[in-house]
Amino acid sequence: MLRKKEKQIVSDFEHRKADPAGPSEISEAYDLGEAETFGKLMLRMFRENKLSAVSLLVILLMILCTILAPVLTPYGETDMDLLNRLQPPSGDHWLGTDEGGRDVLTRLLYGSRVSLMVGIVPTLLSMVLGALLGVMAGYFGKWTDTVIMRLADIVLAFPSMLLAMVIMYTLGGGLFNVFLTLTLMNWGSVARIARSETLRLKKSEFVEAARSIGVSKWKIIFRHILPNCLPTLIVLFTLNVPAAILTESSLSFLGLGIQPPGASWGLMVNMGRQFLYNAPWLSFVPSAAIMVAVLSFNFLGDGLRDVLDPRLRKQ
Amino acid sequence: MNKRIQKKGICLILVLAALLTGILLAATAGAEEAGLLRTAVTYDITTMDVAKTTEDYMIPMNVFDRLFETRMEDGTAKLVPSLCTEYKVSEDGLTYDFTLREGVVFSNGNPLTASDVQYSFERLLVLANQNTDIPLEVVGGQDVMDKKAETLSGFSVTDDTHFSVTLKAPNAGFLAELSSPAMSIVDQESMSDGFGVDPAAMIGTGPYLVTERITNDHYTLVYNDKYWGAEPSVKKLVVRVISDANTQNLMFQNGELDLIDLDKQDSAIVQSQYKTVYADRIVSVRKVGLTFLALNESNEYLKDVRVRKAIGMALDVDTMIAALYNGDATRENGIIPTGAWAHNDSLEGFAYDPEGAKSLLKEAGYEDGQISFELSMDSTATGSIQLVYQSISQLLDKVGIKATVKSYDHAAYLDLRGSGKMDAFIARWLLDYNDPANIMLTFFGSADNTLHRSLNYPDAEIIARVAAAPAIVDDSQRMAEYQALEKKIIGEDAAWIPLFEDMHLYCLGSRVASFTPQWAGFSDFYVTDVVLKD
Amino acid sequence: MKRIVQALLVLLLVSLMLFVMLRIVPGNPVAVLMGEHANQATIDRLTAELGLDQPIHVQFFRYLSGAVRGDFGTSYSLGKPVSELMGTAFVNTLLLSLAAALFAWITGGLCGLLAAIRKNSIPDRLFMGFSLLGISMPVFMVAMILQYVFAYWLHWVPISGTADWRSFILPAVALGWNSAGSIARLVRSALLDTLEEDYIDTARAKGLGKSGVLFRHALRNTMLPTVTMMALQLSALLSGAVITETVFSINGIGRLAVQAITARDIPLLQGTVLFSTAIVIFGNLVADFLYTVLDPRTRKEA
Repeated sequence: MLRKKEKQIVSDFEHRKADPAGPSEISEAYDLGEAETFGKLMLRMFRENKLSAVSLLVILLMILCTILAPVLTPYGETDMDLLNRLQPPSGDHWLGTDEGGRDVLTRLLYGSRVSLMVGIVPTLLSMVLGALLGVMAGYFGKWTDTVIMRLADIVLAFPSMLLAMVIMYTLGGGLFNVFLTLTLMNWGSVARIARSETLRLKKSEFVEAARSIGVSKWKIIFRHILPNCLPTLIVLFTLNVPAAILTESSLSFLGLGIQPPGASWGLMVNMGRQFLYNAPWLSFVPSAAIMVAVLSFNFLGDGLRDVLDPRLRKQ
Repeated sequence: MNKRIQKKGICLILVLAALLTGILLAATAGAEEAGLLRTAVTYDITTMDVAKTTEDYMIPMNVFDRLFETRMEDGTAKLVPSLCTEYKVSEDGLTYDFTLREGVVFSNGNPLTASDVQYSFERLLVLANQNTDIPLEVVGGQDVMDKKAETLSGFSVTDDTHFSVTLKAPNAGFLAELSSPAMSIVDQESMSDGFGVDPAAMIGTGPYLVTERITNDHYTLVYNDKYWGAEPSVKKLVVRVISDANTQNLMFQNGELDLIDLDKQDSAIVQSQYKTVYADRIVSVRKVGLTFLALNESNEYLKDVRVRKAIGMALDVDTMIAALYNGDATRENGIIPTGAWAHNDSLEGFAYDPEGAKSLLKEAGYEDGQISFELSMDSTATGSIQLVYQSISQLLDKVGIKATVKSYDHAAYLDLRGSGKMDAFIARWLLDYNDPANIMLTFFGSADNTLHRSLNYPDAEIIARVAAAPAIVDDSQRMAEYQALEKKIIGEDAAWIPLFEDMHLYCLGSRVASFTPQWAGFSDFYVTDVVLKD
Repeated sequence: MKRIVQALLVLLLVSLMLFVMLRIVPGNPVAVLMGEHANQATIDRLTAELGLDQPIHVQFFRYLSGAVRGDFGTSYSLGKPVSELMGTAFVNTLLLSLAAALFAWITGGLCGLLAAIRKNSIPDRLFMGFSLLGISMPVFMVAMILQYVFAYWLHWVPISGTADWRSFILPAVALGWNSAGSIARLVRSALLDTLEEDYIDTARAKGLGKSGVLFRHALRNTMLPTVTMMALQLSALLSGAVITETVFSINGIGRLAVQAITARDIPLLQGTVLFSTAIVIFGNLVADFLYTVLDPRTRKEA
């Protein structure tokens, strides 16, 4: 059961990349009319797939930490204490101190603001942007389609790190520009998928019916097409967030993203690299944080795919 | 079936693993070429032509010679004859007669003559790029630079090995200046467009030749058997560009580097890894120079001397030294650093007094958080300096001054500083030759100089006195004048905040018997000062 | 062959976009290059020489006409022709990527295979655990750990550089780690799925030995998505190469791009990114082609 879906999903996405206009097995099955509410779906997921449930909790916990960071720690983000550099974990500093004498736990919490938010927010924005553009391309066709799809092709042609680097170069450094960069990078694949969904949905019965009545194009898009793309997009979201987190941490690792003394998990790993012998926790703690975040989103995505794939529901 | 496939799979994995391990272990042994020295730098040189740089000295120092050299002998820096064997100074201190060493040839066989020396002087002026200060001291230097004359009128060649130089004004430090890397002697006959770029065009009288240069990767120096001096122990030097300090550290400990510059490593690593395991292989030399916080007096807040003094009082330099340099640094309070002639030991500096700083700012009428400026940082700065930046930013924040650290890539940093618009930055100056004129004049010797170093020191009278100081012939008078100027510029005017002078540590690999660093603690060194074990 | 034309068009648009983006940045790169002591006259002369005072579309055409002939300009920071710098770098990146791909295929394939065979047992969970590590560990983390353990601690391989073939081992593993994880998962599910198919039972009924069944039908079916995935992984490999080459000081395209950015070296940055993008586009073309060749279903449609 499980692996059928896996192979299906994976090959589905791969096929889609190679042939964007092809059929999608998920959504094809989805709008066969089984209207289970989102809430019920979520409940089912948590019942059946404990791992996903735990992952969601972990993610929510991390987001909570992000928001509550100033409250959770007595230290400031950049408070240096030169005489207490590179201290191992202790009562005063639960995760020790870094090369500037700053509390590692504090920097981990503040760093999550960057690393998590930079994972989630730009991905969300690029989802919105990509979905809108993709649906427009698919629905209106002709020139809109050509222009939008060529733009998407251009963005998709770049290896992700290089694209990020070029955009960062143009915009300059800083947190805001990192956000912007990640948003601009990811809308391409979303647009492609949204477009192929739209192409398929355009031919479906209820859209034909709505058109014959005379419902306006935009109403159709927002009432019928976009909602039906949602399941695929949601799963795509959970796949793209880890990629965004990894891209930001790689950028900061190279010194092209967040600059010291700001905190970001990738930056912390890079700064701690020379101290693997003296103070290995400096690199390992933020690396572990990155891994946990990435895995949580991956498992959550798996769980969502399980419930959103109706073939399973039949069985 | 499953079991059989599984067994096949596992067997395959085991075989592969065994094979791989075998190859690896077998191949780790391997002796290094005798006479080879392997070192690394964190960023590549921009040019091999010393006329165009004040930083890239490795190749000029080893492929070329100068009339004199400054070498460490018995713990002091002494001026040693190199291409010049004898000299005579006239009574008025204006004319120097030099005798060149006999029988010296360039690496292409051309004999060294006095006209080559003259050409080397003139070339610096004609290119008008960097390093024009010294040749400008010669009569007629300005005319050559302005393209009004083709030759230096103050330079007269008697014969192939005898020549005289006439200066515009007496300068007690002139001979020391001649040992500066900028004054390397080049071959007039073989000078070509490829000079500085093409290894084959680097024709000098020095002990080494450049045989290979792959940009951003490495360059190779090989012993020049036509060299006039003693045969060195190192016959081949490979300098690799390894931009990551951590990688250099790992490579050295893995035996892939024979000499490592510990400047780039964090002090904690030096303390815990090098001073323990390699304690007997560490060579340290004082850097004769100064690290200081430069303040631009054309900035609206920094033009107020009380603000500058408050900044001085806000900095806890002693903690920085203890934490970031393992105590291997001396607190500095002026301009002329420890170890240089005319250094003033009794000069008082700023005491760490954050409360005093706050009240001084209040007295001057500034609100908490009102003063803000940019602390510009070169991205190639060492980890320790980066931490100094962050620490300074924090300490200033505590007294209500907002100093934001901004990182620039090397070229942009130099550009901004040269334009005179950099608000504040940490500068480090190592002496090019052992005379306070080098540091005094570079920063305060003319309105132009103080602008191009982003200091914009306004007192024209003091600047004039600085420019005139080298001409004072009497040593004790000159020293008194330098020290008085120092007291005024830093003590009274707080033109910059002196921080420290640190030690330069190197660690020797197991193949190296001894190493004498360059006298001022440069990262660049004379390869002839390295002796390999047999 | 419509695809080829499309690909070329995309490449052209990519170079245009790159060109424009890199020139929006304010500041005269020549002034930055010349450094502290430059005088205005020299800056002006060099600007004219490099053609930087021309309007943008003129500059773009000059660039294109040069690019077609293989001339990508001269690197500001390194003073050498970009094509020359990229030539040596590309060889290193190619070797690295091939080694990484080899590692990913072999390890990922084996893991997936062995996991599929012993599904839902301890080895299965173990191998799938590895694959999870594969997809979740950032490249730099893997590179760091490998370098520290195998080069520094165990002295089995050199720490960095490209001195001999041994220097490529760690970077290849670091780079291929991610792909290996994805491939393992893919192979496992593809294999398991195929084993369940009806026609397998038919084949078994016919009397084909179990191994014959496995190798003939199942593996062939796995080839398709795996191969297309590998071709598409090219983009990810080039991305990962940026970090791997930096950590291991390998003179490849990725590291060159990083150096170009830090040095504000526009021609070099442009050259490396354009080159990498061209490789990805080409790779996608090949993937499309392989897809049509390997999957008889699409061949019928096409």
